[in-house]
Amino acid sequence: MKLDKGIEDYFLHPPPGSAAARAVEFGIDLTLTLENLRLTPEERILKLEAHLASIAWLKANARLKAPPKMTAHESS
Amino acid sequence: MKAVKSQLEFLGRHDLECVIIGGVAGALHGSAIPTTDLDVCYSRTSENLARLATALQSVNARLRNAPDLPFLLDAETLHKGLNFTFITDVGDLDFLGEVRGIGYFDMVAEGASSFEVLGYEFKVIALEKLVLAKRTAGRAKDLLAVAELEAILESKTKVGEQ
Repeated sequence: MKLDKGIEDYFLHPPPGSAAARAVEFGIDLTLTLENLRLTPEERILKLEAHLASIAWLKANARLKAPPKMTAHESS
Repeated sequence: MKAVKSQLEFLGRHDLECVIIGGVAGALHGSAIPTTDLDVCYSRTSENLARLATALQSVNARLRNAPDLPFLLDAETLHKGLNFTFITDVGDLDFLGEVRGIGYFDMVAEGASSFEVLGYEFKVIALEKLVLAKRTAGRAKDLLAVAELEAILESKTKVGEQ
């Protein structure tokens, strides 16, 4: 979906004092938001679905090979 | 993991009078924050409660916070309660009669956006109201969402002004 240039600019270069600037300060990666805004609503849902499926796959297939080593501080 | 697509298909298939709220509403508006459950504010007319009870029975809905509690899922039970959190064959579904900070169904539905997804048309809470609801909920994850949703809202407002 073609996004308005003004919106692209707003997210890529958040104006000082804007909600976008506050979001970046809060820790939001607005490039991910922008990527979503370029999609249609249905594509957004399918992307979310694919993301959740990947997490589920990872949970089902990842195996812990060895426990993490404790630091001297943790073992005392 | 049963996820959002099955939940939306469930909602569309049963033609329920409701408005999508919460994280899925955020995603439809453009948020990149992932969510696994579907939150919905539903109309409490007797016709809709009957439809909702039938719909929930079809996906084997149980109370998420008390799955072993005997629970007769019918329109009367739904009428006696207000906000329900279910675990179902299509995943976690939350049906709220009232949204904190906004009000009951009519208030939530007022000004709602309409999205066509997966061949169904869904009412989705207006972005301004979603921000208000999440700000009222006030949990850490809600405040994170507020920061992003406010940026989306402001971007649309600013472009609209041009």
